[in-house]
Amino acid sequence: MTRQERTAWLFTAPVLAVIALVFVLPTALALGLSVTDYSIYALADWSALRFVGLGNFTGLLSTPLFWRALANTALFAALGVPMAVGASLAAALLLHDTTVRWAPFWRVALFAPYVTSVVATAIVWRFLLNTRFGLINYALGLVGLGPVDWLGDPHASIPAILLFVTWKIFGYNMIVFIAALSAVPADLMEAARLDGASRWGRFRHVTLPAIGPTLLLAAVMSVAGFLQLFAEPYVMTLGGPAQSTVTVLYFMFDEGFKWWNLGQASAVALILFLAILAVTIVQTRIGRRYEWL
Amino acid sequence: MTAAVERAESVSRRGVLAGAGALATAACVPRSGGRGLRFWAMSYEGDYAPLLMTAFTRATGLDVDVQSVPWTAAHEKLLTAQAGGSLPDVFMLPAGWIGEFAMIGAIAPVPAPALVADLVPGVLAPARVGARTYAVPWSVAPQVQFYRRDLLAEVGYDAPPQDWAGWRRMGHALKRRRPDEFVFLMLLNWPGALLGMLFQSGARLLRDHDTRGNFRTPEARAAFAFYLSLYAEGLAPVALSTEVQDPLAAFGQGRYAIWPSGPTTLLDLSRRQAEIPPDRWGTAQLAGPRGPGPVPAINACLCVSAATAHPAAAWALVRHLTSAANELRFQRMIGTLPARASAWHVPRLAGPVIAPFAAQMRSVAPVPMVVEWERIQIEVQLVAERIVRGLTTIDQGLAAIDARVDAILAKRRALVEAGAIA
Repeated sequence: MTRQERTAWLFTAPVLAVIALVFVLPTALALGLSVTDYSIYALADWSALRFVGLGNFTGLLSTPLFWRALANTALFAALGVPMAVGASLAAALLLHDTTVRWAPFWRVALFAPYVTSVVATAIVWRFLLNTRFGLINYALGLVGLGPVDWLGDPHASIPAILLFVTWKIFGYNMIVFIAALSAVPADLMEAARLDGASRWGRFRHVTLPAIGPTLLLAAVMSVAGFLQLFAEPYVMTLGGPAQSTVTVLYFMFDEGFKWWNLGQASAVALILFLAILAVTIVQTRIGRRYEWL
Repeated sequence: MTAAVERAESVSRRGVLAGAGALATAACVPRSGGRGLRFWAMSYEGDYAPLLMTAFTRATGLDVDVQSVPWTAAHEKLLTAQAGGSLPDVFMLPAGWIGEFAMIGAIAPVPAPALVADLVPGVLAPARVGARTYAVPWSVAPQVQFYRRDLLAEVGYDAPPQDWAGWRRMGHALKRRRPDEFVFLMLLNWPGALLGMLFQSGARLLRDHDTRGNFRTPEARAAFAFYLSLYAEGLAPVALSTEVQDPLAAFGQGRYAIWPSGPTTLLDLSRRQAEIPPDRWGTAQLAGPRGPGPVPAINACLCVSAATAHPAAAWALVRHLTSAANELRFQRMIGTLPARASAWHVPRLAGPVIAPFAAQMRSVAPVPMVVEWERIQIEVQLVAERIVRGLTTIDQGLAAIDARVDAILAKRRALVEAGAIA
């Protein structure tokens, strides 16, 4: 090993040690737990612990609520990612326009929800979504749409939570997009305009390729975020009504921390990890094809 | 009474703020070092317990750091604390969790029989695991119905009927008079109402030494059918507690006439008299299939952590909090009813408001003593919600509950068959 290599290892050693301690070790332990039937009985007496192989995984596959949680999570991600990324991009494009006045004010106002406590905002949104007195139903009433039982109807609960989540998180990606948009070459844009490209044409062929990598990053992070949705259903609906907002992570939390079935909860964690990994691989493949990576 | 409550409330707010400050410091020093005890209690008990601590601190010189824990997070917080070795010296447990916490070795057996003498009959049984007693009962919480005297009088009732058929007839009379409102404040994620009906109808919910579900019985079916009928006929709201954010306000506004609940509702009713004056409500025993029957009570007990560094001081605190005098003080502050039999001799507890509680207290349904019971209750309620929403039928639902309960009890079944637990 050269002197330079030694120095390099020396500098990275503290970080590697921390990663090993707080990431690699717990992950390995969770993997170990997922093939045992660790439950409250094992917490009482280690001799009650049994090796069950893939038993937790087969058990999960025959648990209807796990499938329901998977379906709910998939729905959250499928609807939520386009909604959140679309809202971020739309807001960024609006704010990027030179005719917008007080741009810093709007940036702060739209970013504020992201840094506000989720519990506090959830309480406000629960009032907004109230069937009888809520502002949203009041607004719908003005245009003649009947009251929607947002948090009480199993079909409306996912859209209701998506509205809240989108409002809460779109500010972050909006800031990232604003930064990316300012890097779009002005001369290219100018040339396209002079050549008679339409507004959509300029967006499609000039803006989009320039912000492609950013878009991919936002999509990857949003998918990972939506697949790990937990706090919002936890504070808004407690997984209800009729378990229509139980997500995979919510299911894992209930199994693991509420009922202390850590064996099964670790199996859920592993499945969720594999799902996120698979989706991310697909996304990076798509990104490579467009040369965004 | 009002002044006392208001004073109690303002002091408690200060106590809560002090508690928040103490929590911030405790974050740096997780274990209370030196001379001090830590105490956790749920909900109102936690909010108001600091008021009982001044006398204890004066007498013993020990500071008590009280932390209030919300009911919705209590089970996981206590379990996680046990796994992480950070349980407080003394904490409150509902009677139904004692078996579980004794099994995982979190709580110490009661050292002196005198601590569990002079108790209301029946409250000690859930605190016993095997031959030992693991907790000192603190309060009893028989469930009763609170009713709107004025609304019932409008349709010709002095008090709610005590049998299901009459109860439902009264419900229909109220609904006819006020079609836009509901009658029964029973939310779809509160397991109490349905569970009470199951026990009142005489269902035995587990079988084979409590290792399997036993919900496909005529008794359980009858209870589910009655529960469902209240929703199907528009007498109870198809809603969750996340939608009815302030049940007391809804009760005060007359949106519900009947509210099955426990003693701590007395605190809400006394401190919010502006919304609902005392002459507008009353209490009665819960209606049963053929008159009042046994209903599970949610009694609170005090336990001492098996790992406490100050066992003597911890038990002294338990003795202090569970003295008849302090249980009566707590009764005045937050409504909870004393577990000490001698405390019941005061005239205040002989009034008409408390009488239904006292009657129901003598008829308490014993819940199965299995550590999974807490979870089973919640699963039963989840299926009941699906039945009410029309996503499944009663018979399919009962079969689903049995399958779910069998799965939850699988580990227990294996241990019982292996002879590891009785």
